[in-house]
Amino acid sequence: MPLSNHNGELLYNQSGPAGASAPAAQSPSIAVLRDVHYAVDSGKQVFTGLDLEIRRGAVTAIMGPSGTGKTTLLKLITGQVLADRGQVLVDGLDVAKLRRKELYALRRRMGMLFQNGALLTDLDVFENVAFPLREHTRLPERLIRTIVLTKLHAVGLRGAAALSPQQLSGGMSRRVALARAIAMDPDILIYDEPFAGLDPISMGMVLRLIRSLNDALGITSIVVTHDVREISQISDSSFIISEGKVVASGTTAELRDHPSPIVHQFVEGLADGPVSFHYPAPEYHEQLLGGHSFA
Amino acid sequence: MRSTRTIDISTGLFVLLGFAAILFMVTQITNREFSLTSDSYRLKASFENIGGLKPGAPVSMAGVTVGRVEDITYDMKLLKALVTLRIDGRYNAIPNDSDASIFTAGLLGGQYVALSPGGSEEAFKNGDQVEFVQDAVVLENLISKYLFDSAAKKSEAAPASAPAPAAQE
Amino acid sequence: MTILRELLQSFLTFLERVGLLARFALQLLVITPAGLLRVRPIIEQVYNTGALSLVIIMTCGLFVGMVLGLQGYDLLTRFGSEEYLGTATAISLLRELGPVVTALLFAGRAGTALAAELGLMRATDQIAAMEIMAVDPMRRVVLPRFLGGVIAMPLLVSIFVVVGLFGAQLVGVEFFGVDSGSFWSQMRSSVELSDVREGLIKGVVFGIACSLIAVYEGYNALPTAEGVGRATTRTVVISAVVTLILDYILTALML
Repeated sequence: MPLSNHNGELLYNQSGPAGASAPAAQSPSIAVLRDVHYAVDSGKQVFTGLDLEIRRGAVTAIMGPSGTGKTTLLKLITGQVLADRGQVLVDGLDVAKLRRKELYALRRRMGMLFQNGALLTDLDVFENVAFPLREHTRLPERLIRTIVLTKLHAVGLRGAAALSPQQLSGGMSRRVALARAIAMDPDILIYDEPFAGLDPISMGMVLRLIRSLNDALGITSIVVTHDVREISQISDSSFIISEGKVVASGTTAELRDHPSPIVHQFVEGLADGPVSFHYPAPEYHEQLLGGHSFA
Repeated sequence: MRSTRTIDISTGLFVLLGFAAILFMVTQITNREFSLTSDSYRLKASFENIGGLKPGAPVSMAGVTVGRVEDITYDMKLLKALVTLRIDGRYNAIPNDSDASIFTAGLLGGQYVALSPGGSEEAFKNGDQVEFVQDAVVLENLISKYLFDSAAKKSEAAPASAPAPAAQE
Repeated sequence: MTILRELLQSFLTFLERVGLLARFALQLLVITPAGLLRVRPIIEQVYNTGALSLVIIMTCGLFVGMVLGLQGYDLLTRFGSEEYLGTATAISLLRELGPVVTALLFAGRAGTALAAELGLMRATDQIAAMEIMAVDPMRRVVLPRFLGGVIAMPLLVSIFVVVGLFGAQLVGVEFFGVDSGSFWSQMRSSVELSDVREGLIKGVVFGIACSLIAVYEGYNALPTAEGVGRATTRTVVISAVVTLILDYILTALML
């Protein structure tokens, strides 16, 4: 997406990966995962045939019980890891087949918000947001200043530009990281557990930002989270992943009425169900009383 | 994070200190008395036996180092060891009939070349050959020489002393 | 039989680690020429590894020199050769103690700092964030730290040696009454430029080795708190062993 200043003039054109000047026909899905299998080094199968499509321009939530590999899914989309089997397509490009330069070019069109902000500790807030601009563009200092302050204003932290990351609260550093993620006007914004550990006020701020940025900038947002109640307020569609596959997908209302017991347990936040409360253990009486039971 | 000015000043100080230390090491603690300038010239000397002389050994006159042994090779035509001496340009008035001897420093020290001045009015020029040489003293030769000499002395003394008493009687 | 199996496994793992380290080193080598142009980060890292290590290097240098003075004097008096104290301390410092002890101290102070910084960046996703923003973390954070260490080490070695010499002089001349003039003049006549050269070459080589190990361990640390801790421990241990092995190899080559 081209970067333009306030008058709408194009400042520079971000060219896509080699061979594509602009997506010729904009397919409705910006990211497609087909029959993806992936196992970690220790042998644990994370995904066993995952199929999912992310709709362009929408806020999509990816949810599931802990440990189902939601972060791994993000890594597959950004190309940080490659699937053992299956295809991962981002804007029509097969991530596995891209060379380093092309992968980096694709990544420039994505912005990612990490769980703990991941601000560079040796730079202050202003420099952190300016970082991608300085690395990838040759814009004059004046312009960088304007862009950085604009982005900080969008997240409500224009006044904090001179602070260092150590001086920020959890919510504030996450918002600064968000400003950094949108500095280059990406096409896709990825959020990894954006609500984890936030107080209700900060949570509300982040929720509002995700939705308003998505609509104002015309981008696609992917939110990985398990805060069902929060994300359901703003998501257009959701996927629930369990045991390496997608077990449910649809709008918030569709998921609430979903027949599957695990979806029900997850959405309602029930303590017991398909995901058992008790970790597998031998028979209770036997273990306590050493084999004797009082009938 | 310290201000960049502090960092720059401290780093500059550190680098300066480091280079000062290197300079100190190079100039103050190595032997500066003799540094081969480009102003030096070569002399050649052929020896029957160089003993333990090695390249880099000092060349001295009256105990003062005036040069270094540059190279030692075996000359197949002369069938002698050919030693190349590099003399400092300051000492350019060595009489060209001086002799070169190989001595040992101390009792068990390394060997060096000593130049003894001759009486000639002309001086050595670059590339000249030193005519008068004295080989290194090899311990084994010394011992066998001593044994041979003492054996010879004994056999001389025996027949000489026999007729003398006979003549007297 | 299983013992043999396990030994084989550990040997293979060892080979694998060496291979990974070699690959890492090659990557660094390739990006060094371009990386030398970004002066600002390198200066900051020379400060980080060198200037901040000055205190410990000078203190230890002083005491090592003083111990050399003590031991050397005691040993040489047995042969009636006290005036060689200057020579003895200079050569031991220049050729061996200077480079080796400085390298070990460097690994402990600067090496662990580098490993911890990079490990922490890894653990707080800063490195992943850079990769996502299509910035090569090797160029941006690893290379300046490596180059900073390589530049700082020979300078630290030199400072260590000089401070040590003055420490030895302090003990020998002030305490034991060795003649100051003969202390320095004997040193001058016996110490060669090749000794200084040997010390500096060792300093550079050890600097490359210790900095490489430190940045490698930090960059590849597991992104947890224990991971960072283990990375710093491994840095010191591996740096020490490698330094001493290299010391033997270099000494044999240069003698």
